[in-house]
Amino acid sequence: MAKTKTTTKTATTSTLVVLASLLLPGFGQFLSKKRTRGFLVLITTVVLAYLVNWSLVHQNIGKIILGSWITSWLWLPLVLFWIWNVLDTHAQSAQKTFSLLPGILFVSIVLYVIAWNVTAVKFTRLIERFGDARSVATNIINPDMITMTVNGQDKICAWNCMYIYIGDKLAGRPVAGPIRASDNLIQIIGSMKLLPVSKWQVGLGLTAPGSKIRTFVAGSIIQTIAMGLMATLFSTILAIPISFFAASNIMARIPGGTAIYYFARGILNIVRAIDTIVWGLIVVVWVGLGAFAGVIALTIHSAAALGKLFSEEIEHIDTGPIEAVTATGANLIQVIRYAVIPQIVPSFLSFSLLRWDINMRSATVIGFVAGGGIGFFVIENVRMGGYQQYATALWAVVVVIILVDYISGKWRESILKDQTPKDDKKKHPLLNYLRLAFYVVLGLLAFIYCWNLSEINIQNLFSPGSNFSQLIKDFVMIDLSPDVLQPIIQQLIVTIFQAFLATTLGAIFAVPFSFLAAKNLTGRSQFSVWIYYLTRSIFNFLRSIEALLYVVLFIFWVGVGPFAGMLALAVTSFALIGKLFSEAIENIETGSIEAVNATGANRLQMIVYAVLPQITPPFISYLLYQWDINVRMATIIGFAGGGGIGLTLTTFFGSLQYHKAGTVVFFIIIIVALMDFASAKLRQALV
Amino acid sequence: MLKIENLTKVYPNGTQALKNVSFEVKDGDFLAVIGLSGSGKSTLLRCINRLIEPTSGKIYWNDQDITSASSSDIRKIRRQIGMVFQQFNLVKRSSVMTNVLTGRLGYVNTFSSALHLFSAADNNKALASLDQVGLADKPHVRADSLSGGQQQRVGIARALMQDPKLILADEPVASLDPVLSHSIMKYLEQLNKERGITVICSLHFLDLVHRYATSAIALKDGELVFRGLPKQIDDAEFKAIYGQEAERVSIL
Repeated sequence: MAKTKTTTKTATTSTLVVLASLLLPGFGQFLSKKRTRGFLVLITTVVLAYLVNWSLVHQNIGKIILGSWITSWLWLPLVLFWIWNVLDTHAQSAQKTFSLLPGILFVSIVLYVIAWNVTAVKFTRLIERFGDARSVATNIINPDMITMTVNGQDKICAWNCMYIYIGDKLAGRPVAGPIRASDNLIQIIGSMKLLPVSKWQVGLGLTAPGSKIRTFVAGSIIQTIAMGLMATLFSTILAIPISFFAASNIMARIPGGTAIYYFARGILNIVRAIDTIVWGLIVVVWVGLGAFAGVIALTIHSAAALGKLFSEEIEHIDTGPIEAVTATGANLIQVIRYAVIPQIVPSFLSFSLLRWDINMRSATVIGFVAGGGIGFFVIENVRMGGYQQYATALWAVVVVIILVDYISGKWRESILKDQTPKDDKKKHPLLNYLRLAFYVVLGLLAFIYCWNLSEINIQNLFSPGSNFSQLIKDFVMIDLSPDVLQPIIQQLIVTIFQAFLATTLGAIFAVPFSFLAAKNLTGRSQFSVWIYYLTRSIFNFLRSIEALLYVVLFIFWVGVGPFAGMLALAVTSFALIGKLFSEAIENIETGSIEAVNATGANRLQMIVYAVLPQITPPFISYLLYQWDINVRMATIIGFAGGGGIGLTLTTFFGSLQYHKAGTVVFFIIIIVALMDFASAKLRQALV
Repeated sequence: MLKIENLTKVYPNGTQALKNVSFEVKDGDFLAVIGLSGSGKSTLLRCINRLIEPTSGKIYWNDQDITSASSSDIRKIRRQIGMVFQQFNLVKRSSVMTNVLTGRLGYVNTFSSALHLFSAADNNKALASLDQVGLADKPHVRADSLSGGQQQRVGIARALMQDPKLILADEPVASLDPVLSHSIMKYLEQLNKERGITVICSLHFLDLVHRYATSAIALKDGELVFRGLPKQIDDAEFKAIYGQEAERVSIL
């Protein structure tokens, strides 16, 4: 008797929740205690409905005319999603699982159709305009670095020509003509010039005043290196005190500290959400165009990022040693010296080195908006159609970034490894001091050189440009009037879809390549080892170039617009996803593969049952991570002509409409924070 | 019957893991393989189902030459030989049920298994195997949410799915709490006694050998140094196998 009662009861509840889901998607799931699922279904439905309507009204996407009735066919997948939701509720209430696949499929249809249209994807352009691309490609493959004079005519001497030249020289044959560094290379790397001597040389009595001396004039890539180094140094120095205010365990000991903690964390998050390039736009108004502006922009963003990392590190210090050192009767200074500093210094250093790598990459493009460095050189020349200069600059960037990446990586490795203390006692203590003194002097000289090269001028900080006070005043006046909001929302949607499509495209190409770049799967033969190194090199090569530099390339190929920006992001995504995926594959456990093999399974079965379950979660997690990065990057690719919200932002900055620019930045912060949060939550759920 | 003749394995780095090892295992035996870590026990077991390719020597399984079997033949042989691992080797993110069903892969066709489709009979068999190892209530939990002892029982259930004639157990209890060792060993013993499955099991503790094995072999630096009944391993034999420094320890 009791049993029948429960069944009738469940039956009624079942009908009830199904009805609930029919009326409001997700409501039924919510009632059957699947809160998150219900919430997600509801949010998805609302967002999709908004998007379908928006894309029909503003972009004519999916438009169909049924008699006198204009509508979008994209409503159909949405209705199917609704039906899936009802069926899902029904299954849920019966304690059964229901496949997610149809739901994901319908959502994907809507998203990809809209993404395809708003980013103006025209793959045919890649082929149609291949001729234009070829001239850039020729320049990239044969960069203009060496000039050869043949019969009084200058011509580019690329790899093949160099090979012949060197061969001729070595064999003692006559060469085709004299060679020299091309003007292009001189601008990028630098040259020796006769310049008036500097004051300190006269002061030290080295030369007579007013005389000239051959001096090295650094080119744009050297300046880029100096900018990256200075920004890393400054941001580390700034981040250390900031991080103490942003560490909860320290602030909890101070009265009112928790409030300071939340304030500091909030500021750090906001500053971090604004990309270095956007900071560049703001800083230019402050101190004027030039390398100094670039350094400040890099420093601001980097200090916030490091501040957050440092504070997390402080929060995670082990209290055991502090307790133990305190117990020996040590005072506060001693406790900090012997229990705190040894714990944090290696990781602080390691984070700074990581940041140096990132800063160097940003330094190659900060010149696009703030001036200085190789970015400025590129944008100046590209505006005049100088793709030859662009191609040579790309080579310089690749070389420098791969080098920095390598040095920073090796250095970090040696810091984090257990260091075996060197036996210093055997050597003479004086020798150690001398060595130390040598490094200090070397460091100081490098510091002074970089300081001069990156045009640092502290006075400029206190005499801001004429528009700066207006910028500060207007920036916080968020303007939400419809005529401002309308284009911003439109461009934001474009931006998000660019990131979405770029992640998808990047991943589709990265998956097969990542298997080739995984050491444990490529096999042992000579050929496969070659394949492994080749794929790895391609990933590293492509990764060393910033998205903004790719935008320049694709603009030439497919024209200005969101499609070029999307392709640029797709290339960077391909490289990073490929690298991360291949590492995920290399990290799989071999035990379960062995066990599945031992059951008599064949190769395909082994992959499906032992490899896929292990790599799918990290794959999805890296995709979400990449998606997060791409949203950030998509907000700035507009600065080089890649479409999206970046374009809107430069327009507002250029026409001094700072209140509108402030509004855009406000929305960027919100979107970036939202995507960051969503991606982190989803990744957490996966682990 | 399993017959091993002059089995030798040299790893590419020059390590000689097995040197001319020869012995026989009769059907229905419970053979213990003992020896120090690195004496070649794992290599020996993995040569039997060719997870490791032997360098030279022959292995006959019911008069079929395992060492020269083709890759499709070896899969047919492997499916009759269950294997239980020290680290359990479950696919941690997959469910217990999926892990148990992988034991069936050698029997089902590739296409349907790639789509994760198993027959009702296989599903029932998996549930029965889980029931056998006392985990009937856990088919849908993730493998890594189980305790070590439970994971090893899933490992045994997976081997059972193969309808094995032989089970290779590579230190099945070495990663477990000593208290759980007997529970796992009892499952193996039960399969050996009730179903007549031959078991070859490498073990660390001598008292487990005395308690469960019907015969024993010992390896030292890749060489076979003892063949006989467990009770024949006296103090002198013990010192010969494990070295003069060794002391007998017992569990429970």
